[in-house]
Amino acid sequence: MDAGAHSQGRVLIVDDEQINRLILENLFVGIYDVDEAVDGQEALDKITAEPEGYVAVLLDVVMPRLDGIEVLRRLAPTGYLQRVPVFLITAERGDAVMEEAYRLGVMDFIGKPIVPYAVIRRVQSVVELFEARKRLSMTVEDQRLQLLERAARIIELNRGMIESLSAAIEFRDGESGDHVRRIHDITKMVLECTRLGDGLTAEDIDDIALASIMHDVGKIAIPDAILCKPGRLTAEEFEVMKSHTVRGAELLERIPQMRSMGAYRYAIDIARHHHERWDGRGYPDGLVGDQISIWAQVVSLADVYDALMSKRVYKDAFPREEALAMIRDGACGVFNPELLDCFFAVEPRINELHDRSVATR
Amino acid sequence: MNKDALVAAGMDVDGALARLMGSEALLERLLGTFAADGNMAKLEAAQADGDADAALEAAHALKGVCGNLSMTTLFDLSSRACDLFRSGDTAGAFALVPQMRDAYAAMMNAIKA
Repeated sequence: MDAGAHSQGRVLIVDDEQINRLILENLFVGIYDVDEAVDGQEALDKITAEPEGYVAVLLDVVMPRLDGIEVLRRLAPTGYLQRVPVFLITAERGDAVMEEAYRLGVMDFIGKPIVPYAVIRRVQSVVELFEARKRLSMTVEDQRLQLLERAARIIELNRGMIESLSAAIEFRDGESGDHVRRIHDITKMVLECTRLGDGLTAEDIDDIALASIMHDVGKIAIPDAILCKPGRLTAEEFEVMKSHTVRGAELLERIPQMRSMGAYRYAIDIARHHHERWDGRGYPDGLVGDQISIWAQVVSLADVYDALMSKRVYKDAFPREEALAMIRDGACGVFNPELLDCFFAVEPRINELHDRSVATR
Repeated sequence: MNKDALVAAGMDVDGALARLMGSEALLERLLGTFAADGNMAKLEAAQADGDADAALEAAHALKGVCGNLSMTTLFDLSSRACDLFRSGDTAGAFALVPQMRDAYAAMMNAIKA
């Protein structure tokens, strides 16, 4: 049969009598293209060869080789009967065959002798229904993917804005934006690769790493004269400098949009407590040991490590061995021994990250 | 195609044409196919062999085709034969074969008329 210009797809007609096939075929001229099979086996072969090839199947029941019911029995487990409407052509209604066919998932019955307009209308309605359903589920899937993509873009944008803002604050005391990015990477690696991250999900760790970027936002409240002073700070100046922890936490608490972010509670905790020390001699609250959250502890150590390894307005970079010895010996305050163990275990990999970021600077 | 002869031989020609969306050309072609399909011969051969299964198969095929071509007389006879075969009354079903043969022969003559 010619592929009509307005054909709405291809229908498979399965009947062992040529006369019956020709009559059905004639009905669909100008509506569907038609393919034929002379028995159940040929029908199965054609469907298997082209599972997406037909918009509907019209299936006779009594046929040699493989009958219509057997075709249904073999198609049912493949899910084909849910995707493509299959009509059974039969003169016998209301018998056991009909019951089994419905149970297997046949769409409907076409009575013999056929009534042309009823057949056309029924097949067309069902095909349109199936096509509409297919389009709808494709549209829904499209929309779902678009939403996911949009959500991912918003998360990326958030991260970018947080990074830029934190980097802008770092610029004031002569840092590039690399410091915050390295703190992010070190924090993430320590939590992902050591037992310190036990009990945290991948999402928690992402949130904590994002929060670590904001550890020094309180510095925005510190005057240039103190923040950028090349020499030693006086006792008064140091007190002002120390206030960046509390000011940072306050600042973050005042951003209402932050509250809905997973990183929110981590960010406030880290900003306030990233200068606390294991022995209670840190600031601002003098917390001791486990009073300091594990994420604040990790960020404090990452901050110290990165400060030692980098050049600052008031100092040169220390050689790596010296920096590690200083951390171990408590030259920058006392850290949790377990934290130190875990940190030294992954430090070689952190150092590679550090090297790379220096090299690409 | 001789419509009057076909009607006289027990065919609802208008009904058949309606099923073919009015296409006389297709009806002519299908009548030619019917004349050549051999289902009546198969039925008689099955009777000669006493093979009830093969006979039902042929009667069923004849019924389907006659139904679609609105060959009313032959359709009624083959329907009754099918019902008898299915209910196990093989003798009763075979008893209808001579009548079917006559109706079939009349139809063949009408088609050739």
